[in-house]
Order: sequence, then C-alpha cells, then structure tokens
Amino acid sequence: MKVSFQALGRHVDLSGVTPEKLSEVLPMLGLEVESIQSFGLAPMPRVVVGEIQAFEKHPQADRLSVCKVDVGDGTLRQIVCGAKNFKTGDRVPVALPGTTMPSGFEIKVSKLREVESQGMMCSSEELGLGKGEDGLLILTAQKPAIGTPLNKLYGKPDSVLEISVTPNRGDCLGYRGLAREAAAALGLTLKPLTVKTVAGLSASPSAKDAFKFVRSENSFCPYYTARTLRNVKVGPSPDWLRRDLEAVGLRPINNVVDITNWVMLELGQPLHAFDAAKVKEGIEVRAAKAGEELTLLDGKKLSLDSTSWVIADAQRPLVLAGVMGGVDSGVSATTTDIILESAWFTPGEVRRIARRAGISTDSSYRFTRDVDPAGVELASRLATDLLIELAGAEVVGPAVSTGKPPRADVKIELPAGFVAAKCGAPITDADVTAALEKLGFTVEKSKAGFTVTVPSFRSDVTRPIDLVEEFIRIYGTNQIPAGRPIAPLPGDEDTRSSIFTREVTSRLAGAGFTECCHYTLRDAAECELTVGADHAKLLALENPLTADQSHVRASLVPGLIGALSRNVAVNADPRGFFEVGVVFRPQADGAVREFLSVAFAAPAEALVRSWKVPAAFDIIKAKRLLQDIAQLAGVAATRVSFTDAKSALWQLEHAANLSDRGRSAEGACGVVELRWTRSMGLKGSIIAGEVMFPRSSFVDVQRIPRFEAFSSFPPVTRDVAVIVPVATSASEVLTRVQQAASKAAGKEFDLEYVNCFDVFNGPGLPEGSKSLAFEIRWRHNERTLTDEETNRALGTVIAALEKGAGWVIRK
Amino acid sequence: MQQQLAQLVATAQAESKSVTNRAEMEAFKARVVGPNGSLTAAMKGMATLSKEERPIVGKLINEAKKSVEEILAALLTKIEDAEIGSALGTPLDPTLTGNETPAGFIHPLSRTREKILNTFKKLGFTIAEGPEIETEWHCFDALNTPADHPARDMQDTLYLPKTFRSVDAPRRGEEALVLRTHTSSVQIRTLLNRKPPFRIVAPGRCFRRDAVDATHSANFHQIEGLWIDHQVTLADLRGVLDFFVKETFGADAEIRLRPSYFPFTEPSFEMDLRSPNLGRLSNRWLEIMGCGLVDPKVLELCGLDPKEYSGLAFGLGLERIAMLVHGIDDIRHFYNNDLRFLRQFA
Repeated sequence: MKVSFQALGRHVDLSGVTPEKLSEVLPMLGLEVESIQSFGLAPMPRVVVGEIQAFEKHPQADRLSVCKVDVGDGTLRQIVCGAKNFKTGDRVPVALPGTTMPSGFEIKVSKLREVESQGMMCSSEELGLGKGEDGLLILTAQKPAIGTPLNKLYGKPDSVLEISVTPNRGDCLGYRGLAREAAAALGLTLKPLTVKTVAGLSASPSAKDAFKFVRSENSFCPYYTARTLRNVKVGPSPDWLRRDLEAVGLRPINNVVDITNWVMLELGQPLHAFDAAKVKEGIEVRAAKAGEELTLLDGKKLSLDSTSWVIADAQRPLVLAGVMGGVDSGVSATTTDIILESAWFTPGEVRRIARRAGISTDSSYRFTRDVDPAGVELASRLATDLLIELAGAEVVGPAVSTGKPPRADVKIELPAGFVAAKCGAPITDADVTAALEKLGFTVEKSKAGFTVTVPSFRSDVTRPIDLVEEFIRIYGTNQIPAGRPIAPLPGDEDTRSSIFTREVTSRLAGAGFTECCHYTLRDAAECELTVGADHAKLLALENPLTADQSHVRASLVPGLIGALSRNVAVNADPRGFFEVGVVFRPQADGAVREFLSVAFAAPAEALVRSWKVPAAFDIIKAKRLLQDIAQLAGVAATRVSFTDAKSALWQLEHAANLSDRGRSAEGACGVVELRWTRSMGLKGSIIAGEVMFPRSSFVDVQRIPRFEAFSSFPPVTRDVAVIVPVATSASEVLTRVQQAASKAAGKEFDLEYVNCFDVFNGPGLPEGSKSLAFEIRWRHNERTLTDEETNRALGTVIAALEKGAGWVIRK
Repeated sequence: MQQQLAQLVATAQAESKSVTNRAEMEAFKARVVGPNGSLTAAMKGMATLSKEERPIVGKLINEAKKSVEEILAALLTKIEDAEIGSALGTPLDPTLTGNETPAGFIHPLSRTREKILNTFKKLGFTIAEGPEIETEWHCFDALNTPADHPARDMQDTLYLPKTFRSVDAPRRGEEALVLRTHTSSVQIRTLLNRKPPFRIVAPGRCFRRDAVDATHSANFHQIEGLWIDHQVTLADLRGVLDFFVKETFGADAEIRLRPSYFPFTEPSFEMDLRSPNLGRLSNRWLEIMGCGLVDPKVLELCGLDPKEYSGLAFGLGLERIAMLVHGIDDIRHFYNNDLRFLRQFA
C-alpha cells in the first residue's frame, strides 16, 4: 500500500521525523516498508518560470527550435529546444545553468549543433513530476509571474512509502490507523480528528431522502448506512485533494468520487456514491439472482448468480457489493443528488465475490481485511463535510441505517504474569500496561490480573495471546533474552527414511555419482514415457502455470537423462548422476502413492578419452547397486527379484524390473531407451537404475542384529554344470540348485553358498541351449565333512536337476 | 686341493652369470651340487685323505660349499626378480593419471540441509516428514487458515483435480488436495501423531504457482521446526534461532525478530539476519525465516489443550540459506545441475 508521508502527518506530528526514520520504525511494528519514493517537485532553486517571446527554426536541425526566453533577469536568453507543443507567449519551466535535474543531468551553457543554448526548458517528466503531456510543461493557464522559482508553484515534495500490510491488519489500511501505530512507536500523540457533520442515524428515510427504503436482512451485510446529499456540483477536485490521490497512484475523477476515495485513504472505510436519479425507489443489499447482469465501472460485464451479493434498487443490481460500482448508477457530470453509502460487509464473503469476479479493488482489499464497524458512520460524516465544502452539497437529514455494527470493543481478561510467562522474561505489569495503552487499549486491574479493552478497529486482537503480540511489538523484541540451554529428549530419533536419504546419498556419491536436484513438475510427454498415457493422466495438476509443468513426476530417471544431456552439451564431462526424491506412482486402483525414489544414470562407456580403458558400467553393476540401495532401505537382497522390463522408458530386452516379495520396493534398471537418449544428444548407451520405496515401508524402529555363532570347521565345495534351454532364466536354475543343495544337507549340515560362476553358450552344446555352472559350498557346524557325505549330497543335487524338463547335467 | 676348490667356486661364479631362468638354474645346480656335480666330486675325494688332512680339507670344502650356496641364493633372487618384473610389465610412471571416476559431489542443497539439520539435532530436534501432496485441511485449515481467510492470498497454490486420490493424504469429504505450499503441514501431522514433549525439524519440498525466475522456483525446499512442551517461551525461540544463525553464519551474525503475521503463530515474527561475511549482502538486515509461538487455535485443532501445552515453530527456505552462505545469485542453478556449478560445493 502506498502511503503519503505528508498525508500521514495530518494525523500525527511528524515534524521531527524523516521518512527514513519512519521506515526504520514501522518494520519493527510488523509493517514492512518496501520502498520510499519521492513525489512532487524536488527543491530546484534555479528552475524558474520563463516566457517564450520568440522562436525560429534551428538553422541546421529541422527538429530543433531556437527560442528567446525571458526569465525575469532583464535579458533574453537563447535556448535551443526539441519540443513542439508551445507558442509565443507561453510560460514554461526553465532550468538555468547550474541546475541538477532529478535524473542527475547538469544544465550548462552549451552548444547544440553550433547554436548556443543558455538553459533548458523542461517537460513534466524531466522535472520528476511524472509523465505529463508530450513536450514542455506549459504553465500559461496558471499565469505565474516570470522569474518565479518553480518550487513556489508546487507544494513541498512528498515521500511515498510502499508498505506491505499483513492480512490481519485491516486497521492499517488508512492513514488514521497507520498514524496510530507510528505514534505508539515514536511516543507521539495522535492528533484529534474533527468532523463537523453531527453523529446520529435514522432508522427510516424521511420524505426528503432520495430513497424510500434501505434494506439488508442478511448476514453478509449486517450494517448499512445511506445518506442523501442534494444539489451537488460535480466538477474537478481542488489541487490538494488531487495531489493526495495522485501521490498514492489514484487517478482523480471528479470531486464526489475523489472525496469517497480520499476518505477511504484516511480512515480505511470504502464508500460509494450513487447518482440518486438512477436509483429506483430504494436500496437493498441482497443475493444476486441467476440471470441478472451488471456492467461495472471499468466496463467489465458480469453475469451474476445467487452466490454473489449486490447492492440493488427496486429493479436491478447496481453494485457488486464491496467490490465495484456499476456504470449505470455512478456519479457523472450531470448528477445533482447523490446517495452516499457506508457499510460493513462480511470479509470472507467479499473475498469470495471478488475472486469469483476476478477483480481486486482498493475497496474489496479493505473489506476483506475487516473494516472497523465503528468507522462506518464516521467515514460517512467526514465525506459529508467535504461534499458540503467542496461540492456545495446540501444535507437533508441524518444517514439512514439498517442493522447495527457487527462488532464492538472487546474486553479481554489477561491473567497476571501471562505476558511474562509467554515471553520467558522478567516483564512487569507496568511494562505491559504502558505498551498496551500506547496502542489505544484501555487496561484496568481485575481480580485475576487485567481487563484490557480493545477498540473495534483491532478485530485481530481477541485473546490473551494476541495481547502478548501487541505488547512485544511496542516493548521491542530485542529486549527478549535468549532462553535456557536445551538438552535432547532421550529416545527421539530421526525418521528411518531421512536416515536412509542421508546414507544413500553418501553411498552413491562415494560410488562416483554426482547428486542432482530436479523439478517435481514435468510435462505430459515425460510422464507418458515413464508410466504410460493412461497413468500419466492421473498425475496431472488442476491448475498448472505452464504446459511444461503440468504433471507431478513418476520417475527421477528422465531428470537425470536431461542432466547428462545438458552437461554433454556444455562439455562438462558428466560421469554418473543420481537423485533422491519423491515420485508419484498411480496404483492399480487409480489412487496415487508417494514413493521415496533413488535413481542413478551413467553412460555405459566413459565419455572422456583415456589411454587406459575403464570397465564399462553395465546392467549387472546397476543391479548390484540397486540391491545395495534396497538393503540400505531395509529390503534384504534375498527378497528382491528381477524380471524383463517392458516400459517405454527402457530398452526392450536390455533392462530389468525389480520387485520385492514384501512389496515395499519397486524399480528397474538397464539401458535407457536408446532412440530417446540419442535424441537427447547422448551417443552411447545410458545405464540407469531406480528403486522406489513407499513412505509406509520405512519402519522407524530399527532392528538390532543378534549375534549367531558360526562353525570353526572348513567347508567343502563341489561344482555342478547343467545344460538348459536358452530361454530358461538363470534365477530359475539357481533357485533349483539352492533348493536341492539345501535339501541334500538336511538337518545334518548347512548349505552356505551357491554361486553361478560360468555361463556358456558356445560350440559343443546342443542347439538352443546354454550351460550354467554352479559352485556349491556346504559346511558342518561341529566337524569337517567327509568326502563320502559330500558326494552323496552332490548326487542328490544332480538327481534333482536332472528332473528339470530338458535339463542335462554337463559331465 | 685348496687351489682346486678355489677354482671350482670361481667357475661356478662365472657360470652363474649366464643363467637366466629356472630351467638353466636347475641344470647349473646339478653341475655343481648334483650327484655328479663338481663340488660333490670334491667332497667324495675326502674319503681318500689321511686322518690329519681331513679336518683341514673338510674346513676348506665347507667354505667352498658356503660360497656355492650364496651363489645359488643370489641366482634365485635374480631369477625371481626377472619373473616378477615380466609379470608386472612396464614400470610405473607415478605421474600418469587415468580416467577413473572420482567420488561424486553431493548437491549444495543436500549439504546445506544436512548442516542445518545437524545444527538442530544438537538442540535435540529430530527429523519428521510428511507427504508432498497434502489435503487442504492439513495445509491450511488446521493451520488456522480457513477457506475465506485473506492469508490464502499470500500464496498461490497448485491444486490436484477433484478426481485425484492420494494414498498418503486421504481426503476428508469434498476438500481439495494441493501440492503443499509449506512444510508447516508436517507440524499438523506431528501434532496429531505424537505426544508432547517433542522437538522436530521437517525438511521437504514445497510448491507455489510461481513463474520461474532468479528468485522464484516452481518448487523449493523448506525446513520446518516445531517444539511443543509445557512452557515454551519467546526466550526459547530466540535462543534456538540465535544458535542456528551462529552455527550457520558464524559468531559475528546477529538476529532480530521483526513482528509479522502468520495465521498459525501468535505472536509471529520474521527473523532477520545481519552478518559482516555475506559479500555484497553484508551488514544489512536480510529476511531469513518466519517464526513464532504456535497459535493456541492450532493446538486446539490438533486436540491439544493450549492451557497445558505451548510451542514454538519456525520455517526457513533452504535455497535462500544456501544462496546466502555460498553467494549464489540465481535459484535456477540448483535445478540446472550443471557440473560446473555442482562441483564448486564438493
């Protein structure tokens, strides 16, 4: 909100205070000052009024004129000028040599295309008065004396502060309220506000009123006032009023509208003036009816329905309540009688109406922040004063009201010691009383402590805790000491998932991968790539800002591919990347589940040339990495199995899906779909892996491992090779070997280990078959196993394997 | 005899020079100490000597034998050296580097997050988490920000469609699901699920419907703090924040609490930081985080009695802190993942 320093000074004596000082004080009250700008003419003693006595075309430049200008010092000055909007005899501002313009430009006697110029005639913009008409600022109409310093024609320059007011402080959306805050902080007193129009409301209109009724029987508008003012002369506002509006960026319209705006700036209470001739019979605040239409002052045409509230006459809606007036009933040059509205509307409803209409106005902004009900009548009276004074209005009687103020002053019981206890500091009752009284609150002793009366302009202060905030704003937060030392609470532990995040991050960084961080919001095409078109639809946002941020991500892999691609493009020599973050996966029933995902990606062959070729990154390494990550997350490697991956993200037949018997992990790894990675400018294969864990799978209680004794006797090892059809998976054969070897050991001794150490596909084998060789290790807990036992066990394994369809033991 | 033995040793010495591998060495060994070897023959000759000569010659033979053993041992070492040398190949150039992958870099946001979490851990805060897609109730209503509250205008929210169902944040009735606008929603989940006293910090990703530029990001990270106990005060708040700032920005850094407004804290403050060590941002007040005492209304909405319990809460922007600490001028660097950026924070 823009605040004129001068206007604020009408309510509190700021003569000893600079705008800069004020902008240091206000933030510590909770009113952030975002900027200070100057408004009006800065002091420039060498800018004076001059009269153009003659001018002719510049001999060498068509666009320039050479003028003879009288600035009242007895000589005619020659000034070269580029503007066109003047005639002989016009009076204009002239900056004499020695002037520094607001832009920092210094005026000197100089030559412009060979012709001497002894000063500069100025435009509005050059003087820092804002953008005026094109060309020079013409002062002729004001008839200023030649030689008058321009500052004499303009008032004192002002400072305009841009203040950000938090939503709870509706009372600060007017100068009166802001002044109250400034006065409290600076130890000043608020100047009295004098209003001539007498107080008092009438319950029903008189014969002289311009309306027959005022109705508002609803919770939206519990309190409405309207006043008739006759024989109003609509015309321009005086300079001081125009200045006050322009200083804060409001456009003067006519004296009636300007007065309502000015009073709103003063008191924070929005007002509305109707042309009484356009109001049929009376005024009613009611819900709009379906099908009704209203064209607002800004030309916007609204189709209304019953969820909006309007101010209507007997026939039609006139105003979108609390937001903006209609064009039909507004004050115009021909208006003679007006009806002045001042009312209180329910804040949340105004917010809803304004948002629905897509409009935010100075009025709706204030109503949504709960205007002071006690200010409704006051604002009406202050505006009446000005309408009489500046527009010759005649009052016919008191304002007519319906309903009553919805809120009054509030009494809060503040227990003794409450403020000190919340602050954790030795604060006395006198400190509390002094601070609250500065804010205009009344503090009285009561049985349990104090009774604090909070005026109705502070709708946000209703509870003892609110008084603590009020106290601390005035007392000063820097007076609160730093508190007691704190000991940790025994038994508290970080969530498992956060511990996992930390561990997996250092594990992958240690393995040579660099951590990335990508946006959660992705485009539709990427989501379709990762989960397919049907599931991608389930991940769309309701109100995305842009098309490339329309979905929540289902995988971290595309982000990593993007990072590889971008880093290749800038020759940053990427190796591997990884990311840990949340992804969203549609489930079979259509619901979406959040997973904590870990993904990595790296080129199979290093991108940097070297005399020594490093081992390629491949799917076997990626699988191992995924298993290690799953293990960190509490998913034992034995629970994890891999099958062929069939997804658009992965290269067919060169990628594997990871699944977990315990259903707490899923994932995939392998070659990322090659056409896609190539299209991203990545030449060779990219090997990636991703494993995802639902949040619920992280159990916060950590299992403490229990020691198990192990054998001190040597193991025995036997090899067995089996020829199987090519299509048979290694894990199927391995499982069979494990089962058989375990069964062969029985309860007597233990199977310790089975390892596939050779895969052979070459000549000497029947067509369409492959040979897998396994190493089996058994061990006895209490003695060394004999050859005889071991061979018997191996025989059992062989017998079991030979039962496999098409399986042959390789001799 | 003496001369004969000296000759024998000298010959062995000379011959050993031309032996280069194990086979040659075996042959050479046989020629000297084998059953028909020269030294063996000399030893056999002992039998023909007189009793008096034997000790003298015996001594000479022992000396010769010792010399031959030394020759053989030296020869073995020489051959082993040659074998190891050829097995290992070209000698090492200790200055040569290959193209091995070095350890990766941890993202500056992760580093900053861990540093901050560690700081709060020292004060007994432990980590809590919550879902990124939240119900409106957890994100707003329970934080004392009902639907028609003007504070909802303070942030532009990304919504999920009415048909969206979240396993992790089930809707109640007709309420909307949102991408959480702050980690304050984790306050609510913690208040509902845990019994005080507790102190938690909740790191996480948040979302606003903001156009991306140097200071705005479609998603960003916050760390939320919450301490609930029987009597938590403003002095506690100041103590915790003071500790955090000094740990993060050094002992020269100072803080001020500037009154502000959040629906879920009362009183509410913005915490400003001033430090001489922040480059061109040195020695001015910088807004760092929002904080305050938990509003009694929030405690009530979560089923706690505000007469019995009170609390403090704070929320800081991870990107903001990382940018200040490292002098980073554009938030987009964090999400571009250019290695030339990432490797600066290793």
